[in-house]
Amino acid sequence: MVVVTPRVQVPSSVTPGKTFQVKALIAHKMETGLRRDNEGNIIPRDIVNKFICRYNGVNVFTTDLHEAVSANPYFEFYLRATESGPLEFVWYEDGGKLYSLAHQLVVDS
Amino acid sequence: MQRPFLLSVDRLYCGEKNPAPQHTRRALLLTSAAGLATAALVPQAIAGEEHLASEHADDTVELIERLTGKTPVASDRLRIIMPRTFPNGYTVPLDIEVESPMTQSDHVRYVRVVAPRNPLIEVVTFHFVPERSLPRVSTRIRLAEPQFVVAFAELNDGTLLTAKTWVEVATNGCA
Repeated sequence: MVVVTPRVQVPSSVTPGKTFQVKALIAHKMETGLRRDNEGNIIPRDIVNKFICRYNGVNVFTTDLHEAVSANPYFEFYLRATESGPLEFVWYEDGGKLYSLAHQLVVDS
Repeated sequence: MQRPFLLSVDRLYCGEKNPAPQHTRRALLLTSAAGLATAALVPQAIAGEEHLASEHADDTVELIERLTGKTPVASDRLRIIMPRTFPNGYTVPLDIEVESPMTQSDHVRYVRVVAPRNPLIEVVTFHFVPERSLPRVSTRIRLAEPQFVVAFAELNDGTLLTAKTWVEVATNGCA
């Protein structure tokens, strides 16, 4: 059983209205469904097909992933916040399984 | 100094129909060594690439029209930043950036990236939200062969911007 581990990196506190960088990585093999095993059978597709970042319950950054995203998909993106609140990260895997992480974002007042 | 485009000289002249020979590590080393001696060829290689770019321009527009039903405009506001050559096709860095104030009245809805010569051309789509996220992302993608990677961005008024960049990969990242 392969363990799928999501990780994120968010600044410990941010200035209101200023942009900050978020890094999100999930250890996932991203099997494309194009490869064959030693017996010549196609290895079925198994990828993370969606990644969502929510802030205060609202989607602020969404990504649709296809087969051509590298294994262990990694995203570096930029958000802007005005008040402290929960940041949630959700990865959707083929077959409906999902992985999530939550983080309390601290905005300096 | 960034080493200019040595791997692909043969490919540029053999055209579309003849796939480039498999670039092994040995071939790569040999080419780089030979490349120093044939530095004079480089301007020609770049000229060849420009030629290739104009040849592909219509293809790109046609592809985006087929995918979205809209005609894109080539724009400097959308930037797609990738290495010109990369030793493997499995984890090619991709940076996307759009110049936009990201206000309610002027923002980027999404940026979509396609690799037309991958077995499955769709790569990734990023959706942005005004006031909250900036249209600037870095990630890593797979490329099957040297090709133009194409990005297009839809603005809130429906305008479609497009940009592309030539990336030379030495190994197939999709097998």
